[in-house]
Order: sequence, then C-alpha cells, then structure tokens
Amino acid sequence: MNQALTLEGVSKRYSGHTAVDDLSLEVPAGTIYGILGPNGAGKSTTLRMVMNIIARDAGRISLLGGDPAADPKILRRVGFLPEERGVYRKMKVTDVIVFFAELKGIDRRKARTDADAWLERMGLGDWKQAKVETLSKGMQQKVQFIATVIHDPDLLILDEPQSGLDPVNQEVLRDTMLGARDRGKTVIFSTHNMEQAEQLCDSLCIIAQGKKVLDGHLKDVRRENLGNTWAVEFDDVTDAARAFFARETRFGPVAAHGDGWRIELANGADPRALMAELARLDTPVVRFERVQKSLHEIFIDRVGGAVTPNRRREVAHV
Amino acid sequence: MSEVMTVFRREFLERVRSRSFLIGTVLFPVFMAAMWIIPARMGSGGGTRHLVVVDQAPAGVGQAVVQLLTAPPPPGAADDEDRFTFTAERVAQPLEQVKAGLIGRVQRKEIDGYVYLPPDVVQRSKAEYRARNVANFAVLSTVQRAVTQAVQAARLQAAGLDGAQVAGLVKRVEMGTGRITDKGEEGGSATSTFFLGYIVGFLVYLMILLYGMNVLRSVLEEKTNKIAEVIVSSMKASHLMLGKILGVGAVALLQVGIWGAMMGFTTSRSDTLTRRFGMPAGALDVVHVPVGTVVAVFGFFVLGFLLYAALYAALGAAVNSEQEAQQFQMMVMMPLIIPMALVFRIVSDPLGPVATVLGLIPFTSPVTMAMRLASAPVPPLQIVASLALLAATVLAVAWVAGKIYRVGILSTGKRPTLAELGQWLRMA
Repeated sequence: MNQALTLEGVSKRYSGHTAVDDLSLEVPAGTIYGILGPNGAGKSTTLRMVMNIIARDAGRISLLGGDPAADPKILRRVGFLPEERGVYRKMKVTDVIVFFAELKGIDRRKARTDADAWLERMGLGDWKQAKVETLSKGMQQKVQFIATVIHDPDLLILDEPQSGLDPVNQEVLRDTMLGARDRGKTVIFSTHNMEQAEQLCDSLCIIAQGKKVLDGHLKDVRRENLGNTWAVEFDDVTDAARAFFARETRFGPVAAHGDGWRIELANGADPRALMAELARLDTPVVRFERVQKSLHEIFIDRVGGAVTPNRRREVAHV
Repeated sequence: MSEVMTVFRREFLERVRSRSFLIGTVLFPVFMAAMWIIPARMGSGGGTRHLVVVDQAPAGVGQAVVQLLTAPPPPGAADDEDRFTFTAERVAQPLEQVKAGLIGRVQRKEIDGYVYLPPDVVQRSKAEYRARNVANFAVLSTVQRAVTQAVQAARLQAAGLDGAQVAGLVKRVEMGTGRITDKGEEGGSATSTFFLGYIVGFLVYLMILLYGMNVLRSVLEEKTNKIAEVIVSSMKASHLMLGKILGVGAVALLQVGIWGAMMGFTTSRSDTLTRRFGMPAGALDVVHVPVGTVVAVFGFFVLGFLLYAALYAALGAAVNSEQEAQQFQMMVMMPLIIPMALVFRIVSDPLGPVATVLGLIPFTSPVTMAMRLASAPVPPLQIVASLALLAATVLAVAWVAGKIYRVGILSTGKRPTLAELGQWLRMA
C-alpha cells in the first residue's frame, strides 16, 4: 500500500451550500501532506469526513486501506487533533494522556511510561501531576498533542496544528512531525500558513470553496507554477548596466530588486537572447536564474479570486 | 468493549477522587443527623422556671398549685432532659399590691413570671399567667395542667368526691400508633413513618437528580471541548454513553453504599446513640426496614437513575452550553418533581389512587415507589408491574437517547429544533 489516504469525488453539502465539492486527492504513505486553503475552504470538513465524524454525501474514502465509515476500527491507527482544542480540564496531565492511549488499546502501564517520556521531551516534566486547567494554553495544546500521538499512530491528522503555538513550540511540533515521517508514518495537516507548509510538506493540495485548486508533490507544484520571472545580478553595478535596464523593453517589464533586477519575460521572449545582451555589458553577470515562486505566491495566483470565505449557514448540522 | 471500561474507569475515578465527593459523602449524613438530632435537642429546651403564684383563691388551691408544680417527677418516668422543673413561691396579697413589684422582678430576671389565681377561679375557671415568654408551649401546658388539677380537686372536694378516685375514672386514653406490614405488626409512630417515606423518596429524587446532572455536564464538557470528536474515532458513541452512565452510576452506588454502611452502624448502636444525643428511645427505630423493601427501593433507584441519565445524556448532546441546558432541564426534571410536590398525598395514603397511578407511570415511579415502599406494604404485583414498566421504558428511552447522543455530540452550530431532532433519529 503506497497511499495512506485516498479521496475520490468526495462531497459534503449542507442545506444551502456545498462545503466540499467533488474532492479527490492522494496522500502517499510516509510523507507529510499539507491541505492548504483560505478560511472556510472546506479543510476541516474534509478532515472530519476522513475521521468519520461527519458523514459524506458522495464519494469514496480509503484510509490506510479501509473505509472509515464502514470499518471505524481503522481509525484506531490514526491520531487526530481537531481544529478546536480541548482536553479534560479537571484531570491530571498524565491521566489525560493515559486515558486517550487506553482508548486506542494501549496497555495502561506502557501508556504511563510513554506519557512520561513525551512530557519530558515536550518540557512538561514538572507538570505531570498538575491539573490541566492550571496549565497555560500553549501547554494544554502540547498535552493534547501528546494525547494525539501517544499510541504511535500510522497516520497523524492535524487540523491547524500550528495555531496558537509560540515560535519555540512550533519548532517542537515541526520536529515531531518530521520525526514521525522519518519513522515511516504519514502526517496530514491543514493550514493557511503557506510558509510553514513550504517548510514541511512533501506533497500538498490547495483547496478553495470546497474545490481542489491543485495538488501534487511540492517540487512538481513549484515546477508547474514556475512563472517566467528572471533574476539578474552583476559583480559590480556599472552605469552601463543601469542604463541597459533603464531603456530595456524588448524582453518584458523590468524592476529593480535588491542588488539586481528582475525581468518578467514576455511570451515568446528567449532567455538566451537576454543572456547574450547581458554578456555584452562591461561587468560580469554573477546571477541569472529563473525565480522560484513561493507557495504563498502560487496560492495567491491560483486562489486570489476565490478567497471570499464561504461560511456555512447557522444550522445544527452533522 | 474494553473502551467502555476505560470510559467507566475515568468517570468513576475522577469523581470519587474529587473533593466534592468526599465532602458530599460525609456532609450529607451529618446534615441528615443534624435534622434529626437538633429538633430533638431543641424541642423545648428543658431547664428550671421560677414562678410566683399570686393566690387569692379559696384556701388550699394555691398551695396545691405550688405543690403540683414543684413535685419531683414520678419514679420510673424516663430520664427526660426536656422536662421543665419549677420553683414556685406563693404570695397571698391582692394582685394590685404586688403587681408592680412582680413586673419589676420579671424585668430584672429574678423570676420568669407569675400565675394569678383570682378569688372566683373555682367558679369561673379563669386564671392568668404572665411571663417574659408565654410562647413556650411546654411551660404553659404544665402550668395550666397544675392549675386545672388544683381547681378540679377543690371542686370535687366541695361536691364531696375523692379527687384521686375521680382522676382515675376520667383518665384520658392515650392513642399509640404503629404500622402494620405483611410481616405483622411493627413499631414506628405515624410521624416517623411519614418521615421515612419522605426521606427515602427525597434521597432517591436527590440522587437521581444530582447524578443525572453529572452525566449532563460530562457530556457537555466532551462536546464543547471537541473531546468527543477524538473519542468517537476510537469507539462507538453508544459505548461512550454507556461507559459514562455506568461510571457516574457506580459513583452514586458507592455513595449510597457508604451511607448504607453508616446507617447500619447507627442502627446497631441505636441505644447508645439515642441516649448520647438525648433523643427519645426508639427515635432511630424507623431505620429498621425489611430487606425486601430495601432491595425494591434500590431497584427503583437504579432503574430511575438509568432512565434519567439517558435523558440527561441526550439533553447534553443536543445543546451547546450549560445555559442552553438549563432552559431545558426543567422539562426533564418535571416528572421527577411531581412526586416530591405530592409527597403528603402519597405518604399519607400510600395505597390510594394518586400513589398507585404515579407509582406505575415510569417517569414518576422511581421516587413515588420509594416513598410508598417506605411507608406501606405495597402489593407485590404492583411492585413487579411498576419495575417491569420502568425497565421497558429505560430500554426504549436509552435507544432514542443513544441516537440523539450519537448525532448530537458531534454536531456544531445552533441548537437543533424539534424537527431537526427527528431528523437525527432517522439519521442515526
């Protein structure tokens, strides 16, 4: 099995609007997969359908080789962190973690040892016997995160895991996600923070208004969304170079950028011709390369028009 | 099913370890005991009253009053701490001469009051009692009895009859009360029977209500914190509900068990305790209840708890906050309150139509039957019928509640309308 999760034509409609519309995606096993999208795009709804918390109206879901709606037992191998956080406030930290581990079928004694190790690793060693409600919000989130991963799930599904964490703890979370991937586990997380996604994802999917905008390997997504902007830098910025860019219009719009320039090559313009022109100047070219678009830019390019959030109507729904 | 056990364990241990459980378990019996002991102690207070008898009555009456008031208790009478003793001095001057002085003495608290026997007391049967406090019924009746006896003796003597003989002839009949059960006659006064019915009914009501609310709060916590979303990815919602209700119920049973043990200890030492706390002998006899009754009451309590716990679980799953829950709690509580509102009717006529009907309706039967069982021999057929109806209702309600629960704990957004609730039932 090389897909940890497959969605085929999955839809969810609420009275009045479609939250997820004919969504298909594939999450390769052993990778970190990001589901990206603006607020209200349907990320949480998708993950909740995968977790069998809400029923899908159409489509097929295969999770670790099984359909979670038909075979909920498969969900035991999943660790799920919901978007809205919360643990039992009156319980002791260790007890909360052990409780969730036991629900997943872990032996109580083993759960206790594992919980201790996790708490130490997350810097909560002194809080093992404290009641959850006495912890700061960030610490409570860490406790919940430990409760999510305590049974060493094959698949981690994290809904907006970074929200509410300070930079230090975001780093801790990042390391944990990478560590899980390195041990052959699969991590799926949703976010609207493109920079974090770019640092973490092997593959990703961008959705907006319930529809898939693009998906695939991060490398492929980048390649397919390269654009045609070129960066030029010289060893020494001479008057001749300045003069060249001041009057140059044949290749496309030019803009000064840092120590050099950027040219948005027009359709049909040949970068080799530009290169030849540059070689004739009185200073050596030290940089001539196609600029890689950031995920953020790709996202804005592709989703820009669709970011008006499409919030669900106020009805009690499931 | 091991997850049910995990949920059960958590619900049970978290509650039993809590300080409120300890406090509730210890304080409630103390509170109940105080309700029992304090009135017995406070009853009338006992002590000595200093009175002056202003005697203008025919010769002998005044002396007789003083003698009767100050007489030592008859030998063999119970060593009753509530008993009043009197000191009385007789003055023979007319009231007008001594009145101001007596009022002064009362105000200076040298005496508690005075009794005025006018010259025509034997003919007109009117005397006066003035004291700082005339509301003490026990003191007033003792004084009244003494004066009556003295005046009656004077009248009898005038008519040529022997006082003691007549007293023997007109002796009041004292009515003893006791309830009859299937096992033959048993002790217990009318009041203690009422109290037992009331207290057992109240306990069942209180425990079902308290622990039902516990279920509600527990469901709400998991729903609002989204813990439910994580849990149902590991187990069935119905199993979660089952574990929760059983866990909370086990706490209730443990608490009742502890109280039962305390009660058992109390009755085994009832003689010592009644003496120690100055209660009338036999004041604790009411707690001697036949085992069969205890088992039946226990059955109604357990089934009643399951019924209301299921209702509360469904309510907790359907709403989004404690505030919302409060608006609807009354609807759930109503049938539980009805027997409490009709407690006098039920306990005073435990075999009458009101008690019988309320005892058969499953939603009112747990509390009603507890009251009836504690105060009368309810026909076994009625007990069995009521238990069977209740058990069937528990199953039906649990089935419906389970469906509402399953959909409700994962729902978001506003509170469902009745139509939407119906949709949930079809969906689940």
